[in-house]
Amino acid sequence: MAYELKQVGEVQYELGRELRPGMHVPARVFADEKLISQIQRDHSLEQLVNVTSLPGITRAALGMPDMHEGYGFPVGGVAGTLAPDGAISPGGIGFDINCGVRLLVSELRYPEAESVVPTLVHELSRSIPTGYGRHGRISLSSADLDRVLSEGCAYLVREHGLGLEEDLERIESRGSLSGADPSRVSDRAKQRGEDQLGTLGGGNHFLELQRVDAVYDEEAARAMRLGLGQVTVLIHTGSRGLGHQVCTDYVREMDKALARYHFSLPDRQLACAPLSSPEGKDYFAAMCAAANFAWSNRQVLTHRIRETFRRQLGPGPASELRVVYDVAHNIAKLEQFGKHTLCVHRKGATRAFGPSSTEIPAAYRGIGQPIFIPGSMGTSSFVLAGTDASKELSLSSTCHGAGRALSRTAAKKQVVGHELRKQLESQGIIVRCPSNAELAEEAPLAYKDVERVVDVVSRAGIAKKVARLVPRGVLKG
Amino acid sequence: MNARQQPPSARHWFEEHTGEVELHLAAPTLKQLFVEAGLGLADLLSDQRRPPDGAPESVEVEAADRDALLVDWMNELIFRTEMRQKVYDEIRINSLSDRRLHADIRGASPDGWRTAVKAATFHRLEIAREGAGYTGRVVLDV
Repeated sequence: MAYELKQVGEVQYELGRELRPGMHVPARVFADEKLISQIQRDHSLEQLVNVTSLPGITRAALGMPDMHEGYGFPVGGVAGTLAPDGAISPGGIGFDINCGVRLLVSELRYPEAESVVPTLVHELSRSIPTGYGRHGRISLSSADLDRVLSEGCAYLVREHGLGLEEDLERIESRGSLSGADPSRVSDRAKQRGEDQLGTLGGGNHFLELQRVDAVYDEEAARAMRLGLGQVTVLIHTGSRGLGHQVCTDYVREMDKALARYHFSLPDRQLACAPLSSPEGKDYFAAMCAAANFAWSNRQVLTHRIRETFRRQLGPGPASELRVVYDVAHNIAKLEQFGKHTLCVHRKGATRAFGPSSTEIPAAYRGIGQPIFIPGSMGTSSFVLAGTDASKELSLSSTCHGAGRALSRTAAKKQVVGHELRKQLESQGIIVRCPSNAELAEEAPLAYKDVERVVDVVSRAGIAKKVARLVPRGVLKG
Repeated sequence: MNARQQPPSARHWFEEHTGEVELHLAAPTLKQLFVEAGLGLADLLSDQRRPPDGAPESVEVEAADRDALLVDWMNELIFRTEMRQKVYDEIRINSLSDRRLHADIRGASPDGWRTAVKAATFHRLEIAREGAGYTGRVVLDV
């Protein structure tokens, strides 16, 4: 269905409540003309309109410029429901709970790094399990797993030495949501997760070695310890099978409970329950536990990467990787907006707290929360900072990536994997991905133009550009 | 029986979806439709499969209704695939009602994986009677 969007700002479009019965709020999209035309090619606008029917939704259902078709929510969708009785929808967070990105920075710099990066990529490919069904080197007892689920990164750092105390300060929510309750996570979910800590997974998950290529905001870059030529490592992964099973379990539970709450929804995948209901509370506690697992997964990967750097470079500043920040992009958080507490669902969207937030690390107050926007394979990624204006404009949220423009099948029709591999290598990018088909699925032409996406969030005032990172080595599942 | 009433042969195919995978099914009977859903999943998971080995695994699934049963059946296969590292492509549905399924399945560890499948979803989920057979659609999160 073609929608007639009303332009309500320089880079904001809206579909009003009059469009369809059952819409509680408008649907609003941050995009420019080109991105809007790309967004209109799939079902993402219809999905965003469906989100406006969520019980308790307030303000607007928001689409970020990287929005594309998902299931239930579009990817790049944000919705806030009024606590305590508004809905929480597992489909509004997704199966990969707390899929997110963490950026590490080294004192290693180009051009000196040129000669060691190939070895680092090779050694990382040996020490980081990637792809479907690959298991990590940590096998957790049931008691250990429960502590990871309830305490997150702090448990791994303080009791297993997997990282530094200072890492915790630079992770969203310090890598631990206090609402987590492992007893709300099913045995099945725990079985799926018990040997997956420290694994990257498949699909669009990756690990990338990068060079800081441009700095747009000196002050913010300095606060993030980013300078031209420095080597950074971007980790993109989530809660693996554990999170997938938590979502599966609770979509099923909430689907069964819909009639009890007299909820009528345009899409069954939006199955939800009041946050204050037993189903809502249980899901929130399980989701927090899965989010803790995902942050812990990125913490173990950080530890492995540090080990590899130390092994290859020896002790010294070059091998001492520091965490810049770690942000979730599939999560629901309780956040304060004036006198209201909202349950903000972010599905393929990033929190973007501004400089005046007291919830971000002290080092970033006055700067804004760091946000990382990975490009597609072979293209630049961006470091942004959140703005205070994002609170009113976008429920303190911004985009999470370039956003797919083509299906995987369409990408494979247009790109030959081994040719893409050669092309990336000719640009000096080392690629470690066992499957040419998977490589083709993630080809740059399958994605929107990340620079355009970042330009839109900057023009909208919901994040500001800090630095650009270019890929030098990619590890993919 | 005229051509329009001919039951469709059991088959599955994938259609375009920007972010995920949309699996389409057609079969002369509901049982075969559920088998086809399993075979579609197997094709997505791996194109380097081995012949099934080991004893059959008995699978029982219960759900709120027939559509939910298809989702739960696929999620059961996804769970077993991840836990046992097997792709199941020998599937026998022993009994099937609107809310309950009993099957025997066999599979093997493949030589390589293709697409990691996280879950089956309710989004645009459909089982429909069409002519003398059935069609179905499931969106899979990959």
